[in-house]
Amino acid sequence: MKELICVEGLKKGFGGQMVLTNVNFSVAQGDVIAVIGPSGAGKSTMLRCLIHLEKVDGGTITVEGKPFVKNGVYESPAQIKQITSRMGMVFQSFNLFPHLSVRKNLTMPAMLANGQTKEQAEKRAEELLAKVGLRDKIDMMPSTLSGGQQQRVAIARALMMDPDIILFDEPTSALDPQLTAEVLEVMRQLAAAKMTMLVVTHEMTFAREAANKILFMCDGEIAEAGDPKQIFSAPKDSRLAEFLRGIK
Amino acid sequence: MNWSDILTTTSALMQGMGVVLILFFAVLVMSIPLGFLLTLCTRSRFAPLRWIVNAYIYVIRGTPLMLQLFFIYFGLPTLGEPFVTIFFDAMTCALTGFALNYAAYFAEIFRGGLLAIDKGQYEACQVLGLNKWQTTTRVILPQMIRVTLPSITNESITLIKDTALVFSISIPEILHYAKVAVSRTGSVYPYAIAFVVYLVLNTILQFVFKQLEKKTAY
Ligand SMILES: Nc1ncnc2c1ncn2[C@@H]1O[C@H](COP(=O)(O)OP(=O)(O)OP(=O)(O)O)[C@@H](O)[C@H]1O
Ligand SMILES: [Mg+2]
Repeated sequence: MKELICVEGLKKGFGGQMVLTNVNFSVAQGDVIAVIGPSGAGKSTMLRCLIHLEKVDGGTITVEGKPFVKNGVYESPAQIKQITSRMGMVFQSFNLFPHLSVRKNLTMPAMLANGQTKEQAEKRAEELLAKVGLRDKIDMMPSTLSGGQQQRVAIARALMMDPDIILFDEPTSALDPQLTAEVLEVMRQLAAAKMTMLVVTHEMTFAREAANKILFMCDGEIAEAGDPKQIFSAPKDSRLAEFLRGIK
Repeated sequence: MNWSDILTTTSALMQGMGVVLILFFAVLVMSIPLGFLLTLCTRSRFAPLRWIVNAYIYVIRGTPLMLQLFFIYFGLPTLGEPFVTIFFDAMTCALTGFALNYAAYFAEIFRGGLLAIDKGQYEACQVLGLNKWQTTTRVILPQMIRVTLPSITNESITLIKDTALVFSISIPEILHYAKVAVSRTGSVYPYAIAFVVYLVLNTILQFVFKQLEKKTAY
């Protein structure tokens, strides 16, 4: 399988305190990777470094063969933007644009940043909203939607840009169980359609069932990586074993 | 005093209405964008620009508008050209003084408005690939205006009332005509009419802004 993302020796600290000490992993096309680990392990920070919301202190991040940061040295802003534009991101707090309708949330970035015409963007928005089960909400304002609906709009918005991979940072942590289920259902559909995804989550059932690979992060590194079966039934790292005991 | 007196006096006061409205609209149109520009400067990565703009806002907000008007109208021309020419006309001085003054207040309001915008909005823009300009104009500005609209309303009410200050640099506005009418009639009611005129203006203003708030609600 084609390698989409490769992370080598990623380091990141905040004010002298190291949060990511040495992160290494790669993502192949079609992978659905669940990132699990205790609070404060650095999962969000790792995702944010991947999509350049945080600057790394060291390491190399390669997207589709092109590194935008190499041994801690960044490419030009234009290069970074071009390379990271292949990735989409879905946030825990949705981050929809509250002043725009669902339709505009989807079409505005697609037209401005992805060069789609109004007709293309509108058509695509309708298709994607249908896909996430919200075709009838297209002219609603985000604030009138439930959290689960907002998150599904956010997923559709990310898909508008035709990303090669979508990063999810705890997409259901802000939601009730019932709303969580509807969002996870959409993500399962995406997984089934071979969308590449890197998902930070506390939803162990989702990780076990939908992911083909699990990364367990602890103390600023990937403490253990493997397929779900092995991770959940035969953890090698003692911290992972303890983490799994803690959530049962 | 009878109805025809009231009518005569009211229409006399209305001569000052033009000045009030011109000042009001022109100052809003100039000071709101200027204020936003100042806000952006206070967030600039270039420290000297931040210092200068913060000092400017500090001075303007910390001193009387009337003093600022006097400084421009009476003070600057004493320095010779080009001030003599530029600030010859009292209305030019008033517009300059008011615009510079209100821009500082709007800058403060907008600074607060920007703080109220979730940082997730910027992050969403970035991961979607919007550039700085698109982020500012399409996402941040509309939300900031919405958040600050009640403060903009307050500032506009103050502005209508503040226009009376141009009386002091001999621009004939409502207050001027009221004073003239008071001396002519030897009675207090022209002032009472002036009260009503300002109140009506501000009532209309508040109504308009309320509608605007409703329209931009989300
Ligand atoms: N902007 C920041 N400034 C300072 N410290 C930060 C910042 N962001 C994260 N940290 C610190 O980095 C560490 C890792 O945080 P991170 O959010 O990546 O953890 P996480 O694994 O996502 O945790 P959670 O499961 O709670 O979301 C924490 O100790 C956190 O306090
Ligand atoms: Mg996190």
